[in-house]
Amino acid sequence: MENEGHSRAMALALSFMALIWISPFAWLILNAFDPAATGRLAIPQGVTLGNFAQAMSGNAGRQFLNSIYIAAGTATLTVIVGIAAAYPLSRLKIPGRNAFLWALVVMRMLPSIGVLVPMYFVSQSMGLLNNYGVVLALTILNLPFTLLLLKNFFDTVPVELEEAAYVEGASLWHIVTRIVLPLSRAGIAVVWFFTFTGAWNEFLLPLIFSRTEQGFPMSVGLYAAFGQNGAIQYGFLAAYSIIYAAPAVGVYFLLRRNMNTGFAGVGVKG
Amino acid sequence: MAMKNQINPWLASNVWLLVIAMLPAFLLLAALIYFTAWAFSFSFTDLELVGRKSVNWSWVGFENYVRLWTRKGFLDALWTTVIFTFFSAIVGQSVLGFLLAGALRTTRSNLRSFIEVAIMLGWLLPDIVAAFLWSATTSQTGLINNLIITPLGFKPVNFISEFALPVVTIANIWKGTAWSYLLFSAALDSVSREVVEAAKVDGATPFQRIWLVILPIIRPHIATNMLFITIWTFTYFPLIYALTGGGPGRQSETLAIFMYKQSFGTGKLGYGSAISVAMLLIVGALSLIYLRLLREPK
Repeated sequence: MENEGHSRAMALALSFMALIWISPFAWLILNAFDPAATGRLAIPQGVTLGNFAQAMSGNAGRQFLNSIYIAAGTATLTVIVGIAAAYPLSRLKIPGRNAFLWALVVMRMLPSIGVLVPMYFVSQSMGLLNNYGVVLALTILNLPFTLLLLKNFFDTVPVELEEAAYVEGASLWHIVTRIVLPLSRAGIAVVWFFTFTGAWNEFLLPLIFSRTEQGFPMSVGLYAAFGQNGAIQYGFLAAYSIIYAAPAVGVYFLLRRNMNTGFAGVGVKG
Repeated sequence: MAMKNQINPWLASNVWLLVIAMLPAFLLLAALIYFTAWAFSFSFTDLELVGRKSVNWSWVGFENYVRLWTRKGFLDALWTTVIFTFFSAIVGQSVLGFLLAGALRTTRSNLRSFIEVAIMLGWLLPDIVAAFLWSATTSQTGLINNLIITPLGFKPVNFISEFALPVVTIANIWKGTAWSYLLFSAALDSVSREVVEAAKVDGATPFQRIWLVILPIIRPHIATNMLFITIWTFTYFPLIYALTGGGPGRQSETLAIFMYKQSFGTGKLGYGSAISVAMLLIVGALSLIYLRLLREPK
């Protein structure tokens, strides 16, 4: 069959491509566990976790905590501020609110690099050239999109449920915490993780805002380490890279199904 | 009966509470608008990062914008950015993503998920890890020299210093194809099999089926994809900066890197703002073109 041979050749080509695609990862893992890593592609003489221990201690360990602080701080602050505003926006009929939200999203789609200079200037004058400043700046940049997503989630919670609870004598606080939030839990989780990974990867803002090696998040720490002249410690850097990449990769595979539909939704609805 | 515009009673008694809850968000959004306005006004000043002009700056009119055209840096960086965006995003990521999405529709599920995981790993990796991987892969003792160049009997090549722009272009294709792939997979799922079969029965060649049947149907997806990846790639900073720093010389200096170097390296914040305003305008114009493409069904 001509068709079968055709698809076999295609499968071969695709497998070959996938191999090329993942070969840098194979290199990364081999070097991370190699006690005498030289950056070459070689089967290690022995297996060690020493590189990982080194990548979790001292300044490297501090940088891991900084990244956690920035990413979790940004995601939590964005989601809390977002929820507080998205619920009223969803329920109160404020004139022009949709136009307002879309205007913000359009503004946010324009590159954040455009507002970098003013952000730097304001942070400098307020003494915020540190990780607090990074969290605040990232929250501001993430808020428009978060607000729109959360409002859409709240719109899908049926008002009848809230009405019933009100008739039963529940207060606004109860209605929000016992009905609205639990029902939009999945959506809130996805927004939180998207914001988390975005802030976890962020490089440019901390590059400008962080002044000391103890204050660097992992993105800037890794850059500073492999940008240094002289001998490159491949084992350490490979282990550091794996630790740094793990949360973003792990979260994706945890939320895989939700995120694929999220991608499709973004695509079609714009 | 509740009228359409009537406020629900549990909200009505707490309107002030709700307004107060919205305040933090509005403050932060106001800050964003304020920053955007500032970026525009900075571009008309000679503000600098340090020294006398960081305090005693003055208005200089359109001088910064005139400089964009008369001095060499901006136009060179613009050209580099156009090349980078065109080859890595529009040609590389879109075309490869589309071909993969098409090829994997009929492929066995094992191979399919293997490839999906492989390209997703690139997408999920933090930018700086990707930069480290590619810097190591293309170094003189790296993977490509080790596995291909040296066994063939050639001298090791230092790819980053000799082919900076191609290396960052390929690295960005490697990193970003997953997005286009996912989007086109979803798009192809929306094309009904009957339409394609009907074209086949009518004697359309595979090429005609793609060009005349499938592409017109998924045109909105193509435009959406173009919109997103153009904006991202045009303003992309971390991967290129960490891999080459814009060098050697200025060979891989895109607008984002040029803007960063002018603002925070040389310290010319006013000129840097003019560069970012110009970037905003270019990206905005491109978006408008894509949005028209998205809306107008021919």
